[in-house]
Amino acid sequence: MARDRGPFKLYNRWPSIGWLSAAALVSVSFVLGFVVLARYQQDGPTLDAWTAICRAIGITADTGPAGEPQPPLRTPTRIAWTSATLAQIASGSEQNGAYVALNCGACHGERGVSPSTLIPTLAGMDATVIYKQLDDYRSGKRLWGVMNGIATALTVQDSADVATYFAGRQDGLPPIVGEGLPQSGRSLRQSDPTIRLIFAGDPGRGVPPCAACHGPGAHKLGAPALQGQHAAYIERQLTAFAQGMRKNDINEQMRTIAAQLTQDERHAVAVYYGAEGGAVRRAER
Amino acid sequence: MHDSRRLALFHCWVAFAVFLPAVLLGAWQMLMRSPLPAPLDDSAAYYASVTLHGTAMAYVVTTFFIMGFGYAVAATSLGRPISGMAAAWVGFAICLLGTVMAVVAILSGQASVLYTFYPPLLASAWYYGGAFLLIAGSMIWVALMIYNMAAWKRENPGRPVPLAMFAITATAILWAWAAAGVLLELGGILLPRAFGWSDLIDAGLGRTMFSVTLHAIVYFWLMPAYVAFYTLVPQAAGGRLYSDTMGRLTFIMFLLFSLPVGMHHLFGDPEYGSGFKFLQSFLTFLVALPTLLTVFSICASLEIAGRVRGGRGLLGWIPALPWDEPMILAVGLSLVMLGLGGFGGLINMSYAMNSMIHNTAWVTAHFHLIFGGAVVIMYFAIAYEMWPRITGKPLRSKQLARVQLWLWFWGMMITTIPWHIAGLMGQPRRVSTFDYSDPLIAPMGPLVIISAIGGLILLISAVLLIVILIRSHFGERAVEVPLRYALAVNPPARVPPSLNGFALWNAILLVLMLVAYGYPIGQFFFLKKHSVPAVEVTAQSSPMGRR
Repeated sequence: MARDRGPFKLYNRWPSIGWLSAAALVSVSFVLGFVVLARYQQDGPTLDAWTAICRAIGITADTGPAGEPQPPLRTPTRIAWTSATLAQIASGSEQNGAYVALNCGACHGERGVSPSTLIPTLAGMDATVIYKQLDDYRSGKRLWGVMNGIATALTVQDSADVATYFAGRQDGLPPIVGEGLPQSGRSLRQSDPTIRLIFAGDPGRGVPPCAACHGPGAHKLGAPALQGQHAAYIERQLTAFAQGMRKNDINEQMRTIAAQLTQDERHAVAVYYGAEGGAVRRAER
Repeated sequence: MHDSRRLALFHCWVAFAVFLPAVLLGAWQMLMRSPLPAPLDDSAAYYASVTLHGTAMAYVVTTFFIMGFGYAVAATSLGRPISGMAAAWVGFAICLLGTVMAVVAILSGQASVLYTFYPPLLASAWYYGGAFLLIAGSMIWVALMIYNMAAWKRENPGRPVPLAMFAITATAILWAWAAAGVLLELGGILLPRAFGWSDLIDAGLGRTMFSVTLHAIVYFWLMPAYVAFYTLVPQAAGGRLYSDTMGRLTFIMFLLFSLPVGMHHLFGDPEYGSGFKFLQSFLTFLVALPTLLTVFSICASLEIAGRVRGGRGLLGWIPALPWDEPMILAVGLSLVMLGLGGFGGLINMSYAMNSMIHNTAWVTAHFHLIFGGAVVIMYFAIAYEMWPRITGKPLRSKQLARVQLWLWFWGMMITTIPWHIAGLMGQPRRVSTFDYSDPLIAPMGPLVIISAIGGLILLISAVLLIVILIRSHFGERAVEVPLRYALAVNPPARVPPSLNGFALWNAILLVLMLVAYGYPIGQFFFLKKHSVPAVEVTAQSSPMGRR
């Protein structure tokens, strides 16, 4: 057996069997995978060998600049939900927030419960939501004259403080309770079209359920809970998204969805969620 | 000898102690997915449970069982105590500590990322740390297996390493290669992010690293079953192994063809070109070689035994086999499940056909059938075979053991066959609840109910297993019977060095790994920097803002 020593001596029997069969397997699969099969496409023309090899490697053979002009880059907001952002919000001081909030009471109501139907109630709103909107006002990503002026005067820490302050106020928006959806209307066969839209969406139009992000029963970081908010305010924001007047939704989701809804649907959804309608409370019961 | 036995026994007890609650979780998950009412009907609990079930079954039960089996094989096949007992106990302690850390993190709801991690999902550092310790701790076992085999070879120059030891060392080397992927992912990507040292997570790179582990780990689980096929089954049947060389080749081929193939789990991922996916799909198919070689060898060995026992005619040797032996019954049931699961696997590994079943319940059904069925039933048989040898007390009731094996077989068939069908109907995996009132989903309801019934049968079988092992453990002491391995028909006097060690095959494997993974992993460092913010599963409690 002296003839069979060392993994790299090809004149030995087993090393030569091992290396040659490994080489053969790799060659066959390379030729098949990178040259022969990579040329064919289901719905396109057969590629030339060079393009096929590039495709098989996962790069594009076309190294020139893209032909079509690219639209200028527009960012909808400066906020990204990194842990640094979340840590910044979490560092908010409620004490300083109460002082900053003296600026807000005139419109948003004392302790954040707004008396006007066109101005949102802030008490109980998620701190991340308030923080993001303040930043969007500051950077001009969301436009509303008064708020742009006020937000510009606030520091980043002030925003975190005031967001923390309002998030902690009671008697405003109801807390999100539980994980499960209300039993009514979790299915596409729900008869009331508004409840169906809110809890099951409309797959035909690519509209996801409102409740998946805005509650009740679910919550997405950065999306405000709508239950108990003023109906007129909600409807105005939906219209602003639909018309492209407001465009600070990070993934353009609200502009896409609101534009798919009719005016009546926007109204009905707003009334359903709204503090005045009380439909949500009825549905939960 | 006494210490080696206690080492093996401790490992196996940890494995089975974790096994029973993990089966309970599995049965509950089945109920949760079904239209039937389940206790604690809560999605968050479901995902925590899936994570715990997967982590327990995939990392804890298997690693501890295989380590225990490895120590038993090393001590008995080499006929001398294991060298490095102190290191072995240290490894045991590290693995146990890792297990406790991971389990606590999952139970506290901080780690519902499933055992395959799925970055950019992010769990608590305790979970990743626990998994890291468990897997890294088992590397001590790997080193000990290699060391013991090398030491034996040095002292017995020219003699062939016993097949059982050769096979368990192949298992250890396979595990070292496989674990490299997950250890690098944990240490290089997930733990730094979990500690907060980095803000972003390279999900593509992480998943590619894990794919190195993801398929080879399955063969790591499978190997003890194959060791039993080659070395314990012919002995239990009262015959001889058909061919020793075939056994060595099988384990060498498993080592080669289980590693450069993991990307067939990523056919749906966009980061790689079609060429590499095809290459790894192609290499995956080669696993058919050792599998079919094994089926042939085992049938031939059993035929030898059957004919020795007086079986006549073309198939007369089959009824002549000692079917009352748990080992023989288990191998029969195991081969049935291996056959069915193997055919399903052909679909999963085909680059094109995979798209029919990618991410559906078919995949979960497949790995439950082939791992939970074909492999785990052999773990039971191995335990029944080893228990009297390491405790010195006879197995209490072979009949009960046979009932347990049959229950496990039927439980697994009843669970997985409807599960496969539901997958073909499009039921997605990793989903906690389905709206069975929906006309599209309603037809899956009865299938999932049947699966849940199967889950219950599996639970009964698992309880029975523990009962049998405990009864045997505390039974009366009997005469000691050493663990014996099957002799080959022609026992080898000498074997070529290449079939008596792994240097050549590790070198070939290194080249295959560079070919299959060099570019797909390398591209992340210079072409594709795809780091994204992590999605913190732990976030629900703290930084969501105050309300």
